[in-house]
Amino acid sequence: MQRADITKDNLQLGARAAKVTWLAGAIGLVAIAAAVLLGLLSSDGGESFATAYLTAFVFFLTLALGALFFVLLQHVTGAGWGVVVRRPAEAIAGVFPLFAVLSIPLLFNLHSIYPWAGGEAASDHVLAGKAAYLNVPFFLIRWIAYFGIWSLMASYFRRTSARQDGSGDPALTIKMERLSAPGMVVFALTATFFSFDVLMSRDPHWYSTIYGVYLFSGSVVGFCAVLPLLTLSLQRWGRIQHAVTREHYHDLGKLTFAFVVFWAYIAFSQFMLMWYSNIPEETSWYLRRLSGPWSGFSLILLLGHFVIPFWLLISRGVKRRPATLAFAASWVLLMHLLDVYWLTMPESSPTSLGFSLMHVLCLAGVGALMIAAVTYNLSRSALIPVGDPRLDESLSFENV
Amino acid sequence: MKTAIPDSTVDDPRVRPELILGGNDFTTVTDKVAGLMERPRPPRAWYIAFAVSLALTGVLVAMIGYLVLTGVGVWGLNNPVGWGFDITNFVFWVGIGHAGTLISAILFLFRQKWRTSINRFAEAMTIFAVVCAGLFPAIHVGRIWLAWWLFPLPNQQQVWPNFRSPLLWDVFAVSSYMFVSLMFWYMGMIPDLATLRDRAKTKVRQIVYGIFSLGWRGSNRQWHRYERAYLLLAALATPLVVSVHSVVSFDFAASQLPGWHTTVFPPYFVAGAIFSGFAMVMMLIIPARQYFGLKDIVTMRHLDNMSKIILATGSMVGFAYAIEFFMAWYSGNPYEMFTFLNRAMGPYSWAYWIMVSCNVLTPQLFWFKKLRGSIPVLFVASILINVGMWFERFVIIVTSLSRDFLPGSWLSYTPTYVEILTFAGSFGLFFTLFLLFVRYLPMVAMAEVKSVMPQAHLEEGIHKGLGDYWGDMPQQHGEKGGHHRGGKS
Repeated sequence: MQRADITKDNLQLGARAAKVTWLAGAIGLVAIAAAVLLGLLSSDGGESFATAYLTAFVFFLTLALGALFFVLLQHVTGAGWGVVVRRPAEAIAGVFPLFAVLSIPLLFNLHSIYPWAGGEAASDHVLAGKAAYLNVPFFLIRWIAYFGIWSLMASYFRRTSARQDGSGDPALTIKMERLSAPGMVVFALTATFFSFDVLMSRDPHWYSTIYGVYLFSGSVVGFCAVLPLLTLSLQRWGRIQHAVTREHYHDLGKLTFAFVVFWAYIAFSQFMLMWYSNIPEETSWYLRRLSGPWSGFSLILLLGHFVIPFWLLISRGVKRRPATLAFAASWVLLMHLLDVYWLTMPESSPTSLGFSLMHVLCLAGVGALMIAAVTYNLSRSALIPVGDPRLDESLSFENV
Repeated sequence: MKTAIPDSTVDDPRVRPELILGGNDFTTVTDKVAGLMERPRPPRAWYIAFAVSLALTGVLVAMIGYLVLTGVGVWGLNNPVGWGFDITNFVFWVGIGHAGTLISAILFLFRQKWRTSINRFAEAMTIFAVVCAGLFPAIHVGRIWLAWWLFPLPNQQQVWPNFRSPLLWDVFAVSSYMFVSLMFWYMGMIPDLATLRDRAKTKVRQIVYGIFSLGWRGSNRQWHRYERAYLLLAALATPLVVSVHSVVSFDFAASQLPGWHTTVFPPYFVAGAIFSGFAMVMMLIIPARQYFGLKDIVTMRHLDNMSKIILATGSMVGFAYAIEFFMAWYSGNPYEMFTFLNRAMGPYSWAYWIMVSCNVLTPQLFWFKKLRGSIPVLFVASILINVGMWFERFVIIVTSLSRDFLPGSWLSYTPTYVEILTFAGSFGLFFTLFLLFVRYLPMVAMAEVKSVMPQAHLEEGIHKGLGDYWGDMPQQHGEKGGHHRGGKS
């Protein structure tokens, strides 16, 4: 067990970060402005913009939720191996304030995203029964709570870890470990109800108790794919070249594999139980996804989100070679996007896939702004937690 | 040599605490563990416990005999409550049987080295729990001489089981879990059985342990194959840990009955199973480490870790209860709403509140390090959790069946003495098997424990250059206990 030598490593993102931040930020703003403009010009009352924007918003936000979970998990388990990849995760989890701002266009369009927020809700007795939960003011209160809590949690763990870079104080690690356990409880509660609010209530008649776990599993899959991609890009830029080794990539690949299987398990549980019981109020949601062009889409999801990555990532060699891992991770990330698309779109476009330029603009816009924010977050401290007492363990980590 | 056991539960992120305390080396670990089975006769307490367990097993046999000779009418089941104690006990015991393979497979893949002290013990518990579990579906079918119809065996009547029924999937899920767990347990035991063979003083022991150790010589090549096989078995057993209780949950969730049909059942059942399994390991290991002098192998840190897992899974279970309740309201479905209000306030509300207080409130004690470090708290809490998890299954099964869609078909269920004694008898069977296990087989995986001791890693850390091939280290050095520096120092 050789401890990797990081004395020659470049641990700072440096001047290049500012350039990337500004450029990506500008691209993002332009793309979102174009999407908004396109939405205003269209005759559908902004619905196509709202749903496309929702898809992009949820897709990128789930990556941040996965990152927050990963940071909490590292602390709550007292993990050693993952110390060198925790900073990128902290940086991704640090985008919640940005997403709080980015949610403004959504909040102005609630009526075109959620049937319960629109005019038809009054005449629907099922929705009248849920009005105590599904109403605009309470939705906004919850929304503010989610983003407030997530921003606070992410910022606490990022700042505390950054503070440790200077002092190397092990008491900070203990403090973070202590807080991560209740943090997990808060995370589970907020992420679950967020999933009910943001996506499940798109079809407010439909309900599924596993829905929160489903979106959670997809979020972690998405994040597990992004983390090696981000770390590989940093290494390509000549940063942290010795700190992160193929051993860490191997473990990240294993984690991706595990969550791909977990996602499939949850997706199967939900589908099988609804299909088997065949209760109309539950099957309506799947019926939409299994008719017309969506049936092929569902099949792609089954193959692409489970079967293919399962066989790809089961091999040790694929996980340990940067090029193959990058391919597998990109594939899985794309599938997570399709998953979010599949969760979001059929409600507003049941007969066609509904893909349009609007989606491209929204994905580019939100994505570019997220890249800007992550790059900015990364530039604020060293790229690995140099003061973490378990850094040595992580640097000398080997899969045996 | 009696020294105070140092506290290895102190959190210091700079150090990975020693897992085995008390200045043990390879020889003392072997002597301690193997010595338990090599005593000419077990302590008196063992005989008393064995007699009680055997008597209870006798009760079990008598009750099953009475059932078979008379018919299922001796139970309190009725229409609509066709499942009562029988299936509650089945799910209860299968749930208990989850900790063993979780510890040996999933915690192995997670590199949780502390599992080595408890995995053998927990795996044995798993197998005995699954034995008890398998009993109940077999005897609840009524004409139990036809129980073999559960298996898809070709027969002259051309009768096949319904492959689309989750009840049949259960047969496959539980039996494959049983076989893989058994294989895992046995394979992991081979090196230890060889140790017992080599130490055997009597001809019988030599022959018996000799046969079961399959000619193990501990060569490099054998170890290499062994470790490979262990990893592969762990990877294969991991999905089984999840699948068994998921399939058990399908038995309920694939129906249309409110309170049974809900999509979160599979992961929630798995969390509950791990929760109850760990509680059972805790309940058994606390007296075992006490009476068999294993306190420096199964240390307070092991109990601390286990109670954290109990807290995590218990909170998941509580979370699932809450989500179910919320969704019953959110669904807007009057039957769903009624079912959950009926659970909390109906005729079986006493069972519901036992379940909530044991399963949701009790594990919350483990947020506090002080309570995690108190043996009486851990022991009482683990018993309460087992009670709560039994009631969870009872609440799910009985409340939903006794109050379905039509008030005209409502009926209550009261168990008869036969059901209660059968359940008590299953504990007798469980403990009989368990007591035989602790008498004749190594209850700690000696070979695996040695692999996580510093003596096994003489090429690194402050142990560099100390000790020898046999794991003997200067006593002074070993006694520093939990305060070694990992890595360099």
